[in-house]
Amino acid sequence: MSGVKVRSLRFSYGKNIVLEDLSFEVDEGEILTILGPNGSGKTTLLKCLNRLLKPKGSVLIDSFEISKLNEKELAKLVGYVPQIHSPAFPYKVVDVVVSGRTPHLGLSIPTRKDYELAYDVLGRLGLSHLADKPYTQLSGGELRLVLIARALVQQPKVLLLDEPTSHLDLRNRVLVLKVLREIAREGIAVVMSEHDPNLASIFSDKVLLMCKGKIVGYGRVQDVLTRENIAKVYGVKVEIFERNGKRYMFPIF
Amino acid sequence: MVIILGRATMSMEFRLNFGKDLELLSHKISLVLLPILLFVIYLSIGKYAISLSSLPSVLFKDSIEHTILLNVRLPRAIEAMLFGACMGISGAALQTTLRNPLVSPYILGISSGAAFGAALSIALLGTGYFFLTQPSAILFALIAITITLSLSKFRGQFSPASLVLAGIIVSALFSGLLSLVQILVEPEKTQTIVAWIIGRLYAVTWNDVVTSAPLAMVGILGLLVFRWRVFALSLGDEEAKSLGINVERDRMLVILFTSIATASVVSVTGIIGWVCLISPHITRFIVGSNPKDLLPASISIGASFMLIADLISRTIWIFEIPVGVITTLIGAPMFLYLMRRAMHEWG
Repeated sequence: MSGVKVRSLRFSYGKNIVLEDLSFEVDEGEILTILGPNGSGKTTLLKCLNRLLKPKGSVLIDSFEISKLNEKELAKLVGYVPQIHSPAFPYKVVDVVVSGRTPHLGLSIPTRKDYELAYDVLGRLGLSHLADKPYTQLSGGELRLVLIARALVQQPKVLLLDEPTSHLDLRNRVLVLKVLREIAREGIAVVMSEHDPNLASIFSDKVLLMCKGKIVGYGRVQDVLTRENIAKVYGVKVEIFERNGKRYMFPIF
Repeated sequence: MVIILGRATMSMEFRLNFGKDLELLSHKISLVLLPILLFVIYLSIGKYAISLSSLPSVLFKDSIEHTILLNVRLPRAIEAMLFGACMGISGAALQTTLRNPLVSPYILGISSGAAFGAALSIALLGTGYFFLTQPSAILFALIAITITLSLSKFRGQFSPASLVLAGIIVSALFSGLLSLVQILVEPEKTQTIVAWIIGRLYAVTWNDVVTSAPLAMVGILGLLVFRWRVFALSLGDEEAKSLGINVERDRMLVILFTSIATASVVSVTGIIGWVCLISPHITRFIVGSNPKDLLPASISIGASFMLIADLISRTIWIFEIPVGVITTLIGAPMFLYLMRRAMHEWG
């Protein structure tokens, strides 16, 4: 099976249990969005899928058990876009993007081919004009797209994104999510965390609703994002509307 | 002068891809030619001036100029370049790997550690065992940097401020220990150690060059081979890991190569400050921050910087002014200027 398959994943910091017995699957071509209040374990879960943290239980990616892969093999399968990136030096955008080739390189420096791939991906995301700019001078939305471009240059089977829309305006949020949907349609399994249930509803194939490290609901948007579940997880009453098969939620005061 | 040259090549503005390649090529050529040009100038200038045109003939004819050129100036020029090259690339590699433009082998205590290690070996064994001086210098360079890194690690990250603070503490500690060694040893050895601490380019012999060159090469080549890893490390621990890098191992290897490069020259010349901090900054100004270009280029800039500094040190006054004084007097104001410029660029 390609994609991600997680079975009874558990993680704790010492005695503090952060994730409890999570099981879910994401196929290639699908977007799974992780929803849940602050501190519910979304970021921790993403880091477990990338082995930045070492969980108990089983995580299969492209039918490989990730605990058995070395760093390089794992990096060829999984791309990761962090929520925050703090630049240390004013590198050129294209150099940052080409760093996605690292797991394919060994000790050598990127070749012309690697750079061509980086320019290609930048072009596809509409960022060609930024290629030679220092990436310290980008806007929040541009930086997020550059980090996504880097992950794509990695040519992974699975793309993990930690709140790819945070701190972005509406236009950039929609832009990033549209890009992600295109990426998924090309056969990559996308797993991301998100705060806005409406955006999650519009753009994802599946959602995973979490609270305090446990799964409250998992599956199709219609089945998971219900008034009861949202009240339970966020403590907020919502009114639900359906339009063109998409579900929209508005808080009631 | 270095900056003017850099600017001259930079001013070739590009609009086309072809122009970009041409610009890169012209950078590469001028970075190779600069130290060679300075090297020749360095050899010809001094108390016994040897004109550029007569350099080749002097090289093969027995005369007083021949002796000066071959036994005094040549080894000294080579050692100056080795020192500058090691310090340039070590500073660039450390700054990039630790994501901090303020660090250098000098500031993190590597130089003091190496100096103490070398002095300890001279004190215990005397200068007769010079082949043991370098391993001892490398050992203590590694001990020093390990202390600095473990003092500054907080929640798995090296914060920029804590790195510099820890480095200052470790530097002070090893400088103190070095003074202690000087006081405790027999008077005749004190003299050797003191002469060596001041920065000993003035009495460099072929023997010194032969002692320092092999390990200096190991350090330099190691860092050059690792320069793409250095780039990945500079993106931050988690991102480097998700790019398939074994962060702890690779960072330690970079530090090991840096310590070898630093200790190999410091154990011969003593501590000459500022070169390791300023050379990477000048280089960044010319070729940008990417270690792919920065590391090789900082070898050339470091070597050139040292040739200029040492040329000034032995010609500006009736007697020689220690080269460390010159590097400081050039380095400090230059660093200030570059920092102010960089602040604009980083926004």
